[in-house]
Amino acid sequence: MTGEMIAFFILALVAICGGVFMIHSENVVHMVVSLIFTFLSIAGIYILLSAEFVAVVQVLIYSGAITIIMLFGIMLTKHDPKSEKRIAKSRILAVGTGVVAFFIIMFLAINKLSFKQQDVELYVHNVKKIGIELYSKYVIPFELTSILLLVALIGAVVLAKKDESEEMNEHE
Amino acid sequence: MMQYAWLIPLMPLLSFILLLLLGKKLKEASAYVGIWLTAVPLVMSFIVFFGQWGGESYKAEGTWLTIGHAVITFGIEINPLNSLMLVIVSLVSFLVHLYSKGYMNGDERVPVFFAYLGLFTFAMLGLVMSPNLLQLYMFWELVGLGSFLLIGYYYFKPEARQAAKKAFIMTRIGDVGLFIGMILLFWQVGSFEFDDIFKAVASHEMTHAMITLTAILIFVGAIGKSGQLPLHTWLPDAMEGPTPVSALIHAATMVAAGVYLVATMYPLFAASTAALTTVAVVGGVTAIFAASIGLMQKDIKRVLAYSTVSQLGYMMLALGSGGYVAGVFHLTTHAFFKALLFLAAGSVIHAVHTQDIEKMGGLYRKLKRTGPLFLIGALAISGFPLLSGFFSKDQILAATYEDGRFGLFWLAIIAAFFTAFYMFRLFFMVFTGEFRGAAKEVHESPGVMTFPMIVLGILAVLAGYVNTSWFGTFLSDYLGKGEVAPLASNHEPIWISVVATLVSLLGIFMAYLIYKKGSLSRDWLSRHLPSLSSVVYNKYYIDEVYHAVIVRGVRAFSYGWSLIDRYIVEGIVNGAVALVHWLAKLGSKCQNGQVQTYGAVAFVGLVLLLLIFAVSGGYFS
Amino acid sequence: MSSLPLPVFLVLALILFCIGLFGALTKRNAVIVLISIELMLNAVNINLVAFSKYGPNPGITGQIFSLFTITVAAAEAAVGLAILFALYRNRRTVNVNEMDQLKR
Repeated sequence: MTGEMIAFFILALVAICGGVFMIHSENVVHMVVSLIFTFLSIAGIYILLSAEFVAVVQVLIYSGAITIIMLFGIMLTKHDPKSEKRIAKSRILAVGTGVVAFFIIMFLAINKLSFKQQDVELYVHNVKKIGIELYSKYVIPFELTSILLLVALIGAVVLAKKDESEEMNEHE
Repeated sequence: MMQYAWLIPLMPLLSFILLLLLGKKLKEASAYVGIWLTAVPLVMSFIVFFGQWGGESYKAEGTWLTIGHAVITFGIEINPLNSLMLVIVSLVSFLVHLYSKGYMNGDERVPVFFAYLGLFTFAMLGLVMSPNLLQLYMFWELVGLGSFLLIGYYYFKPEARQAAKKAFIMTRIGDVGLFIGMILLFWQVGSFEFDDIFKAVASHEMTHAMITLTAILIFVGAIGKSGQLPLHTWLPDAMEGPTPVSALIHAATMVAAGVYLVATMYPLFAASTAALTTVAVVGGVTAIFAASIGLMQKDIKRVLAYSTVSQLGYMMLALGSGGYVAGVFHLTTHAFFKALLFLAAGSVIHAVHTQDIEKMGGLYRKLKRTGPLFLIGALAISGFPLLSGFFSKDQILAATYEDGRFGLFWLAIIAAFFTAFYMFRLFFMVFTGEFRGAAKEVHESPGVMTFPMIVLGILAVLAGYVNTSWFGTFLSDYLGKGEVAPLASNHEPIWISVVATLVSLLGIFMAYLIYKKGSLSRDWLSRHLPSLSSVVYNKYYIDEVYHAVIVRGVRAFSYGWSLIDRYIVEGIVNGAVALVHWLAKLGSKCQNGQVQTYGAVAFVGLVLLLLIFAVSGGYFS
Repeated sequence: MSSLPLPVFLVLALILFCIGLFGALTKRNAVIVLISIELMLNAVNINLVAFSKYGPNPGITGQIFSLFTITVAAAEAAVGLAILFALYRNRRTVNVNEMDQLKR
């Protein structure tokens, strides 16, 4: 049992526990907070996979940005678990069986998968390598991504902005 | 003349068609169409009959169907038995047509009535002229149809509807036997022709067991049609029809068809002792059985109906005992005196408008012609010496005695006593004593009704003289000419005549004592043996037994199947429907506008695809 | 070098993906549905990174791909929440059961 293995199992346990808690919880804020643990442990997994830069991005964007946005979303809307209609049991059952079946099939497929392990040293100058690739080979997707982010920003603002007619209604 | 004999049955058919087409216009006049179109066949029948007297059998046939090597023909045959039946049927039919003119006067549906009568007469004449079994069977069924229509003529009366249905179904049970026998014969002989069948029987082509089997099956048909035990119950109920119909169908002609069938198939029966014994026993038991029921009935037509059943039993007894001539002889005389009795009963009913003999009485003085005629009929059927019934009954008794069936012989003697007793019970209750009815004025029937009765009365007196040992044996000679008929000897011991006469006189005397003089109490039997009398009065509970056993049984059986149909067959159908319905419901439930549901459905679909992929041995398995 | 085989990471990713999928299809709060989708995307990212190390053609490309994915996921989360707000303002609810305008 190497230290790497111990680290992996702890991280995996935390990630799965966070997910299960998210599924199980009634309180919306608890759900989001439990998912922060999942995201953080996923960042740890990335480090185990010698992807430090991605791990850092993961912490920044998921654990930081997205979770905070979601918390804002929760706080800006009204949540009353008791008054909300429950999801039909039949659908939970159907989706549950579907998920389990999906899991089994995929698990069987994964079990059959085997590649020869090759030695690559991704952890050496990881950020530098990413930077070189990103700005040489993937420069056009990179720029397109920035456009996408811009569009998303403007779109989000436009969508979330209050309608003028509604403002009128609220004044009345 | 013989080559035109085929016209005989076509005349009544023409009457039927004409009356169906033009009946609405002809109205009352339609009776004349029916009468004239039966008068012509009557004349032709007589010509044929007398032509047959000296001549040969005549047969004309055309091929109808060819099936493999078997040729099915269609045609007519005239032999002694046939031509005798032709005369009886056309004569009675003509007289009944005439009588109906008076009896049905004022009925709205006279054309329909005469049309039915025409159809029936056509079928009956065709039946007796058939040269092969298949044709006979077809006319046999047509006769049944005619009977059904006529019994149900008063279709607005529920009893009449019931009776018509009952008659049709009961005779149908017998017909199934006839049909199976017919098919078996065809299988064995390869032909429906009577001649071929008799040839096969004579040359021992058929095994003895097969002969017995087919003979008994054909006799089952005769049982149904002739109202023998145990299929007799329809005949008394058939009295719901108009009285002329009862006279024509249920006394003289149709019920005699069973007897005729046995007579015409006689070589087949004669070849099997077992079959003859069956016929004789059924006939004998029916004779005494029906006669005993007749003792207690209160409806004038029902008494006559049971009397008919009993007399038909006599005929069967004669045929079964080898008395071919005696059976046919009794068929002839019975046709006349029973038709006479029915017509007279109809005349009485016409006068007092009731059928209950308790409500009649003293009518002899009021119905000056009907009374004596009824008396003649009653005397004839009772076997009063020198009337027709005396001779024919004597011969039946002699034939039975000669055959060595002493049990049946004594049964027949007792039945003769019963017959005399109930006929004169009827006579005394209806025609003597005080009038007990409600009708104010009682009129004699018109001439158009009494004329046929007079003709039949004369025949009832005289018909016996065609075959007596000391006057002349015309009928035996005539029937014996066709080679089919084994002869019954005519030298009966004289004491049989004496005993029969004494017995019937005793019956008449007893009836006189009880119902006229009143010196013996009427309800002696019901007082001393109440259970027996109620059993007899209720016709031995045969109908009730049939109802309990057969009708209920069939009901229970079909109820069981209907349950299976309802819950299993329909369950499957409804299940399929419900499945589709459920699937559709599910499908429409999925279309609820929620993206999540759509996603779930799409995901389940994907999983299903993956499953198929995995199970069918794709990459994943 | 490493004692951890590839399938271990893949199974972890699979478990997280299944959890996310179940949440996305059965949770009634729209915000949680969005977060569940994020979880699913994360599971995919684990796969990408794992393959970039242990796959048949190891290289930095997998990591770059996961970076793009994260970026797009962030954009998606922002737009999704914006739509959610718009909807909430119109219907006063974030319950996905009541969002059935597709039917109308």
